[in-house]
Order: sequence, then structure tokens, then C-alpha cells
Amino acid sequence: MSMSSKRKRIDNLLQIITYGAASVAVIILSLIVVFVFKNGSGLINLDLITNDYHAQYYNGGIENVTSFSNTPKPNILTEEDYYSLKWGIALTDDIDREGKPIIIVSYIAEDSPLYQMYDKNNLDNDSFAIEVENIVQSIKFYDKDSTLSIYGAQHMINELDAESEFREMVFTSLGGGIRGSLITTLYTIGLTLLFALPVGIFTAIYLNEFAKKNRLTNIIRSMIEMLTGVPSIIFGLMGLAVFVPLTVRYTPADSANILSGSLTLAVILLPVIIRSTEESLKVVPDDFRFASLALGANSTQTTFKVVLPSALPGIMTATLLAIGRIIGESAALIFAIGTAIKDDISIFGKSTTLAVHIWSLLTDEPANIELASTISLIILMIVLILNISVKLLSRSYLKRV
Amino acid sequence: MDFIKKQFGKIKDLFHFNSKKEVVDFIIKLFFLISTIVSASFIVIIIVFITKEGIKPFVTDNGGIGSVNLVRFLTGTTWLEGTAFKSNLYSVGFIIINTLYISLLSLLIAMPIGVLTALFIAKIAPKRLSEILRTVIELLAAIPSIVYGLFGSGIILVFVYNLAKVFGVQSPGGNSVLATVLVLALMILPTITALSEVAIRSVEKDIEHGSLALGATKTQTNFKVVLTSAKSGIFSASILGIGRALGEATAVSLVAGNARSGPTLSFFQTTSTLTSTMLQGLKETTGIDYDIRFSVGIVLMVVILLTNAGLNFVKKRIGNVHVK
Amino acid sequence: MINNVFTIKNLNLFYGKYQALHSINLDIERNKVTALIGPSGCGKSTFLRCLNRMNDLIDSCQIDGEVLYHNDNVYNRNFDVISLRTKVGMVFQKPNPFPMTIYDNIAYGPRCQGIKDKTELNKIVEKSLKNSALWEEVKDRLKDSAMSLSGGQQQRLCIARAIAMEPEVILMDEPTSALDPIATMKIEELINDLKQNYAIVIVTHSMQQAARISDNTAFFHLGELVEYDKTDIIFTTPKEVKTEEYITGRFG
Repeated sequence: MSMSSKRKRIDNLLQIITYGAASVAVIILSLIVVFVFKNGSGLINLDLITNDYHAQYYNGGIENVTSFSNTPKPNILTEEDYYSLKWGIALTDDIDREGKPIIIVSYIAEDSPLYQMYDKNNLDNDSFAIEVENIVQSIKFYDKDSTLSIYGAQHMINELDAESEFREMVFTSLGGGIRGSLITTLYTIGLTLLFALPVGIFTAIYLNEFAKKNRLTNIIRSMIEMLTGVPSIIFGLMGLAVFVPLTVRYTPADSANILSGSLTLAVILLPVIIRSTEESLKVVPDDFRFASLALGANSTQTTFKVVLPSALPGIMTATLLAIGRIIGESAALIFAIGTAIKDDISIFGKSTTLAVHIWSLLTDEPANIELASTISLIILMIVLILNISVKLLSRSYLKRV
Repeated sequence: MDFIKKQFGKIKDLFHFNSKKEVVDFIIKLFFLISTIVSASFIVIIIVFITKEGIKPFVTDNGGIGSVNLVRFLTGTTWLEGTAFKSNLYSVGFIIINTLYISLLSLLIAMPIGVLTALFIAKIAPKRLSEILRTVIELLAAIPSIVYGLFGSGIILVFVYNLAKVFGVQSPGGNSVLATVLVLALMILPTITALSEVAIRSVEKDIEHGSLALGATKTQTNFKVVLTSAKSGIFSASILGIGRALGEATAVSLVAGNARSGPTLSFFQTTSTLTSTMLQGLKETTGIDYDIRFSVGIVLMVVILLTNAGLNFVKKRIGNVHVK
Repeated sequence: MINNVFTIKNLNLFYGKYQALHSINLDIERNKVTALIGPSGCGKSTFLRCLNRMNDLIDSCQIDGEVLYHNDNVYNRNFDVISLRTKVGMVFQKPNPFPMTIYDNIAYGPRCQGIKDKTELNKIVEKSLKNSALWEEVKDRLKDSAMSLSGGQQQRLCIARAIAMEPEVILMDEPTSALDPIATMKIEELINDLKQNYAIVIVTHSMQQAARISDNTAFFHLGELVEYDKTDIIFTTPKEVKTEEYITGRFG
């Protein structure tokens, strides 16, 4: 009997260890998602997606103000918004995407004299105007000390309200946005699929429909399969050594660029696309092929009209997974696209995808965890949606067959 | 158009085609073949070009710095950047050891947890819970590594920094062996769990029943028979896991601390891996600091290949028990 | 009465709403081979699995009635299933050796009971393999994988594995259905030897096999026990029309 009680103890112990391991795994891994949500959700809004990353600096001057504003403080403004009746502007304290205090323009009256400001750097600039959501860095006066953003919005408004002219107002656009990286990511997805899908699908068709079952085919197959074992940083090196020089020579590009990055990603994705296309081609029953051939269609017609449509769900799945991989890829792109965060995007220029944007933010001193988390959150949500779509897609496909 | 028609005709004559349809057929097939050749050639392109760039530091004098000594490169214990220090004293010997050490440790953490979690999901949890957990694990496996890197810089660095303080050690911002190992272990955990789960689930019911019929308890059956039968699948999962750990770059580079000498065995000291070293000095576009990255790339590929070969050998030895 | 190891009283078994066994009453005798025959789907395997409670593994399975093992109902709430299964061994339809060495397969059961002593385990392994007529064939390769054995050898290994627990009863669920005639013959010889020490309950779809090796035969049809008697009586002068029809091959 003592034997069986000892056995019970060992059993219980093993059981507890198993439960413990499973809990640890699930809890810690969920913690990652929680961390990203907690840190990232604070910054997420439409501005983030539409704004430039690099703030634009403006130096506004004003002379001989003819008429001042007389719009009263609008009701939509709160206690936190400090308003100058004379200048028709409301300022409020905020923190930027790196957590530093800033002063933001929360309202400008239509009759504000500030619209009379001119661009001190570029006198011909007609589109120059201060806008809501601009950040006011400082206001410099003729006969007293400048007011700086570190003194707070209230101080700045009081100082401004007391004067009827100033020497210079330094303000900037909000910045810190990810519009550029988002566009780069979309370009990259489009270009990569443009390269990888045809080559991948054609290869799969060739291997499955036309290639003879011999050693050469096996060798080709294993050469493609070998790509899956290559770490993505190595693909990055290949992009750097092959695609970057190629694009520099034949396109206007002069360094790593979106095109070279997309080509590199296309190579990474080839085995994925080939394999899942081939798997869905294999499922197409031979009867279909025979029926088509018996009706006088030749083998390519059969392939395009009968086999390929049946394989479409598999190709869709591969495409969705490929998009997920493109969005998440960082190591290869650091070499093949570059790490410079850009706002003006050209497919022949350097820029960053969202994932590389995160890396650039994290390797900065100091690392901008907040913004990185926000971008991660966006990536996570996209990857989540893609994976769930794949699940649903394959489920509905299984049902249909 | 005329030109194309003429070419068509030529091809038609050349290959004795009977109709235009056959010419189209031929051209399309040719496209398929070319695609296939292109797809298959990339592995060769990778090897050739990386090798070509990677041997430069050893065979040229690198713009006056002098060529790098291969033996010292492979066995040395310091990494001095050429342009900064005007030296050719690059060594990855210690970095190879760091890389293997870190990958192995992360596997040692991730494998038991992953396998037990897989066992829980496949054999112990009630049906609904196991379905939910399986989906969660699959989704976690799809999280890009950069997100693990973010978690590493945001949480694990702080954790390790504070842990080091408890032990009375000053860890530079938490950048350390331990942080790297933890990030990698987390990253490969979902992969190992998901693959092991599949292996455990596909163990035949018959074998399990055989054990139960001998008076073994459910737990004994799980640990002695089910895990043994899934051994080969679990081992494959681990091989894949360590492959990912060896090749992971961005997440590692954010927490390793980029040590220039070593090897680092102490948990709280900074370290560097082959991949994190490759991500250094990104601004260079020519010269030795650019070329040397390719040399490190070759070393990385060789290390991964040898590790895989070694582990597959071990798998064959311990897995000689054939599992259907 | 004393010679009975199992007494089954009024056993009903349900898979969800479907009733697979209808009021079965049956005694299993010591040192006898009891064959369960009947057309497929008649409930003979299901019945067999009631004796060591392997049906517990099926979620929707519900049982009503008594399965008395030496006067203890195995379906009592506090009955120790684990120790029941050490006393009632089982051999399955398909050979199911564990993916371990031959030695470890045999030693598995005893080890699960906490036996660690090397010499004792060696003794058990040797004895079990000898009793299952496998010793001569494998004594030099005990450290080989059990998967390297032939199908018939694997099945005898599974019998040896069951014997290693020194059970009182061995349940066999169509043990020869996956084997060739020669391997089948060896198993049948083995069963004949084993009955001196064990009660054997064997499910078989081969009437010839039942006639060759069993002492008692139970004929199942549509979840009911149609007839149970000495084997020679069943095969020569069955009382029920159904039984006669079945053994003369008119259905099934």
C-alpha cells in the first residue's frame, strides 16, 4: 500500500509540474500581448497614422498688427485650455510621444491676427499658417524674455496676451507619426507579392503538374526547401549584396530601397508560397485533369482553367500568411531597405516598414518604448486578423470539400 | 505585333509545332520552367554572393588595414572595429561560443515548459480549454520577433537589472546573457509548444490504452509512454527552436548589450551573438566593416548547419526507436 | 462458484443514448479459456472492456449492473481501477508495443508499480518472455527496439508484457486478427499453455479459433448474450436457433 501512496505522490507532483508549466507558458506569453496593449493603446489614434514622423519647424514673424481678434473663448474649450482673446488662440499642456511636456494649439479663432504671420525662413511661402495641433516651442518678444514651452501654456498665454506684437513664434508640426512607415509597408507588401506570387505559383505548378518525378526534380525541390532553414538576417545580407547593387544600377535608387527590400522579402516568401500552393494543387483530384484533357484541352489550358481555380483557397492562405510575414519581418529589411525613418516615400528611396520603424525607435537613445508599443500593437492586430482569417478560410474550405 | 508574330512563326518552325495553340502552350511551360529555375537558384545565389563578399577581409588588405587572419578570426576573443581602431583584429571565436551558449540555455528553458504545456493541451486539459489554448499558442507563434524584442527592452531588461541588484551585481541596463536567453526562450516557446502538441496528439491511442491496461496511472502513461512515443516529433520541434534562436537577430540585438570581448558566461554581463554583431556598424556601405558582416554571416550559416547536423545525428541515435 | 473470477450480473451499457449491451449475466471461470463470439458490432469487445474498465476512457459510456471480481463490484465508486488492471491484463487487436526496447516493454508494468530492483526486473523479464514463448527468439537482443520485431512477435511481446504483471485474468481482443496463419498458430499454442495459470477471455471473430482453443463460449448478438455454455456444446448442440444459424455460417 505504501507503494501506491508513493506512486500517488509522484503522480501528483508530475501533475502539478505540468499544470505549472502550462500556466507559466500561457501567462508569460499573454503578458507580452498585455504589455503591448497597455503601453501602446495610449497613443493610438488617427493622427498617429496620418502624421509625419519628422516634425516640421516653422519660424513665424509678425509686424504691424492691424486688427486683433474679438472672438470670445468658445464653449468647447475647457479649463485646461488657456485662451487669449486678443490673439484668438488657445494653448494647452500635453505630452509628446516620448513623454516630454509640450504646448499644443487647441484652438485658433477665424479672425486671429496670427494668420498674418509670415514664414521668416521662406518669405514667398503663401501656404504658411499655424494650425490646431501644432506645437508651440517658444515666443520671442522685442523687449522682454522669451516664453518657452517648459513654463507651461498658462504662462505663454499670459505673456502673449500682454503684448501687441512679437519678434518670432517657433512652432512645429506634431511629428512622431507613422504615415511614412505605413506607406512603405503597403508598398512593400504590394511589390513583394507582385514578385513572389507569380514566381511561386508558377514554380508550384511546374513541380506538381509538369516536372517528371526524377532525381533532378527532387534536387530542385530540396534546394527550394533549404531556403526555409536560412535565417532572415542572411537573406538581408543577400539583399545587400545582390538586390541593392542591382537596383542602384538599373533604377534611380542610390542606396538600399523599397524595391530591393521587396525583392529580398520575395525570396524569403518563395518557399512558403510554393509549398502551400503545391499542397492545394495536390488535393485537386486527377479526375478533373483527365476530364479536361479528354475534352481536348491541352495541359496548360487544363492547368489554368481547371487546376488553378481549385487551388485558389490554398494560394489565398499563402498570401495572407505572406502578408503577415512581410509586416513582421525586421532583420532582413534592416539591410535591404535601411533604417532611416522617412516621410517622403519613394520606392527607389530608403525608408522603414513598421517593424523596422520599431527597431529604429528601440535602438535610439533613449529608446521610445511608447511609440514602439503602439506600432507593435498595430502589427499585432494585423497579424491576429490575418491568422484568424486563415483559420476561417481553411475551415470554410474544408467544409466545402 | 508583326515582330511577335514572326517570332511565333520561327518558334513554330524550329520546334515543329502544328498550331499557334501549341506555341502558346510551349511558351507558358517555358515560363513555368524559368520560374522554377529562378526559385531553386536563390539558395546558390545566397551562398555564392555571401561567400564572395565574406572572404574579402581575408584576401585583400582592406584599404591599408591589412588582411584579417582567418585562424584568429575563428578563435580569438576580441572584436575591434576596423575603421574605428584601424585594426584588422576581428574575432568571432568568443561570439560563436556566446551564440551557442545562449541558444542552448534558451532551449533548456523553453523545451521543458513547451513540452509540458503541449502535454497539458493535448492530454490533460478539457476539450474546450485545449482548443482555446491551441489557438492561443498558434497565434503567439505568429507574433513577429521584433515584438518579442520590444517586450525584452520594455520589461525583461528592467527585470534583469533589478534581479542583478538583488544579487549585488551591477548589470549595464539589464543588457545581459540572462535577458537574451529569456527573450529567446519566450520567442521559441510557442513554436516548440505547437509542434510538440501535434507530435503528442498523433501518438496512437492503442499505445496509451496498452499502458493503462497494464495498471499504469494516467500520469504515468503520459510521462512514460506518450512522451516517449512523441520523442521524435518533440526533438524535431527543438531542432527548429534552436535554429530560430541561432538565427534571430533584431530581438537579440536589443537586449544583448553587444560585448566586444568574451566569451561571456556570467548571466548578468553583456554579451553578443553572431547576429547582433552583424547588425553593428550599419552605416558602412563599403570597406572592411561592411565586408566583415558577410564573413560573420558565413560563420552563422556554418554554425547553424553544424548544429543541425549534430542534433539530427543525436536524434537518430536516441530516436532509433522507430515511431510510426 | 468458487472457481469463478468474474460474475457479471444484469449488465447494461450505453453509449450516449444507444444501448450497446442488454442485461448480460455471465460467469468467467478460473483456468479456463472463455471465447466471446458473434457478428461484428454485437458488443463482444465492449463487454470485454467492461472487465478491466477500459470503457471508462470513452466519455459517453454509461454502465448499469454489476461486474463482480471476486465478489467486489468493479464499478463501485471507491474500487481501485489501477489495481484491477494489474490483476486483469489485456492484449489488443493490433500489437501495440511501446516504442522502447524489448526489455523496457516488459519491465514497464512492474516499474509503474514501483519495482526498481534490477535483479528482480531481470527475473520478471526472463520469466515473462519464457512463458510467452518468446525468450529463445529475443534473449540476445533485449536492448533492441520492440518495433524491430515481427507482427507475431510483437503480439507475443504484448502478451509477455501482460504476464509480467502476474495477473489472474488475461483479456484478449481479437489478438490474432492482424497476424498471419503461422503467427496465429503460435499464439493459439501459447494461449493453450497459459490457461494452466490464468483465466483467459478472448474475443474472436473466427469460430474455428473459438472451437480450437476455448473451454467455454459465449455467443453475443445485437448486444445480448444469446447463449453461453461449454464450447463443445455450443458447437455441436446449441440450444438457441440464432446460435446455430451463426455457427453454421448463415449470417454474420
